[in-house]
Amino acid sequence: MLLLAAASLVAFVLLLYMVSPLISPKPLALSGAHVVVTGGSSGIGKCIAIECYKQGAFITLVARNEDKLLQAKKEIEKHSINDKQVVLCISVDVSQDYGQVENVMKQAQEKLGPVDMLVNCAGTSLAGKFEDLEVSTFERLMSVNYLGSVYPSRAVITTMKERRVGRVVFVSSQAGQLGLFGYTAYSSSKFAIRGLAEALQMEVKPYNVYVTVAYPPDTDTPGFAKENQTKQGNFNSSIGSDGYMLSSLTCGMAPVTSITEGLQQVVTMGLFRTIALFYLGSFDSIVRRCMTQKAKLETVDKTA
Amino acid sequence: MLLLAAASLVAFVLLLYMVSPLISPKPLALSGAHVVVTGGSSGIGKCIAIECYKQGAFITLVARNEDKLLQAKKEIEKHSINDKQVVLCISVDVSQDYGQVENVMKQAQEKLGPVDMLVNCAGTSLAGKFEDLEVSTFERLMSVNYLGSVYPSRAVITTMKERRVGRVVFVSSQAGQLGLFGYTAYSSSKFAIRGLAEALQMEVKPYNVYVTVAYPPDTDTPGFAKENQTKPLETRLISETTSVCKPEQVAKQIVKDAVVVTMGLFRTIALFYLGSFDSIVRRCMTQKAKLETVDKTA
Repeated sequence: MLLLAAASLVAFVLLLYMVSPLISPKPLALSGAHVVVTGGSSGIGKCIAIECYKQGAFITLVARNEDKLLQAKKEIEKHSINDKQVVLCISVDVSQDYGQVENVMKQAQEKLGPVDMLVNCAGTSLAGKFEDLEVSTFERLMSVNYLGSVYPSRAVITTMKERRVGRVVFVSSQAGQLGLFGYTAYSSSKFAIRGLAEALQMEVKPYNVYVTVAYPPDTDTPGFAKENQTKQGNFNSSIGSDGYMLSSLTCGMAPVTSITEGLQQVVTMGLFRTIALFYLGSFDSIVRRCMTQKAKLETVDKTA
Repeated sequence: MLLLAAASLVAFVLLLYMVSPLISPKPLALSGAHVVVTGGSSGIGKCIAIECYKQGAFITLVARNEDKLLQAKKEIEKHSINDKQVVLCISVDVSQDYGQVENVMKQAQEKLGPVDMLVNCAGTSLAGKFEDLEVSTFERLMSVNYLGSVYPSRAVITTMKERRVGRVVFVSSQAGQLGLFGYTAYSSSKFAIRGLAEALQMEVKPYNVYVTVAYPPDTDTPGFAKENQTKPLETRLISETTSVCKPEQVAKQIVKDAVVVTMGLFRTIALFYLGSFDSIVRRCMTQKAKLETVDKTA
């Protein structure tokens, strides 16, 4: 009896697995697509632009520094796969003023057509103890990382909804999945991006616009860009096995892209939370150890 | 064999359960403690202040409007349990300027001693579709809800760490645990509070300072009434899946420090909820499209 139930459950899961490609959203074809990358003049953003370009996309790079933009453009153009591809550069601070950002998006759309995919990669980081960070840091990080993602997204979303097609990518961070020592200002800004993405996804889903949030570790490598393919519109994008575990663990009420993903999350949750507790324990002991060592050094200084 | 493993697991869990009161942090005694509540002149903040006052605390209320502060003070004082208790009111915008907030905390500490517990309840909400919300809303909500929690916390944290005692409470929201239709600006600000709290807790734990993040549901407060005035239909329908709480209930729970439990089952249930939210949104969209077609042909 129990065996029959177990067997039918397994059969059902296998059936879902086979059916799911039929019911998932159609992947976005990057060839000929217009991809806008903010923060595209360096780091992860530039690598994402290269990755999309290699697959035939038309790129608009948005960043502040014009020299870096031109250098990045030259680098990206080396990877062209046909004669028609274009890399457009526009210089603006995406966190400063919404009007300016809206203009930039208009310009880009006049030249390369409506935006198919927007990658919000403009961001910066600063670590330090809560009481040591300059007070202005909290507002500044939130402005660049969060508002700098809100404004471009807002400028393209209406057109995406009208066309019933689009991808919006937000680049959060593993520090946006868990708060870490020294990241009071940074984690908050990256958590905010997740809240924005979840709420936005719920609003645009019936319009065939998909949101992806990436949670890169603190590593700036081309390897990340390769993994961050948004063809299937996965909501979560994570790197490596640590990343997979962290994303499953912190999935919470995040939307699910595929049935297999949902099942994996349900099954692994208990185990991952257990492992997480050990990790947290070790982080706490690192912090405590540093604190006692610092106290010892101060006593030594005093008696010296 | 399996039975033995299962039995030892159960025994281990029971053992942990019995030992845990011995290894948990000592509860903060509210009697005689100095509790600062931002956003304390109305709603959840005021109820938290009342709850702490009933347990013997000395309260500092921080908010912008002086009249509302005085009214709240009168209401709170009705619940005093001894002659010594005091309710101090200070008017300031906690999100405007860190220097001002620092001054306010200094004043409060000069009058009622070092802060034992800070409750960051100053906050506001606004719901609307992402492209319909005024652009300034994103910055404004983040400023009040997030920076308005950063500044007071920063002003008291060094003293708490020196004294090796303190509690910092942040009031997030269920919208800070999941992003909902209409809450692109609000959810972000409430998620940010969670990130701040998690990072801060890791920094202050060895100093015996503990951080609590509260996630209240829709609560019957003046702030909520205001939010309802401009709430989109989809948001209202989705919100109806949970009931509206009384602020007194919420305050009691926050003060008690709630704890969470099982995950696997909850994730399954969550997936069903998310599915129903998505269909509500789709339904509203198709209905709106139909109405627009009717309007055109009319």
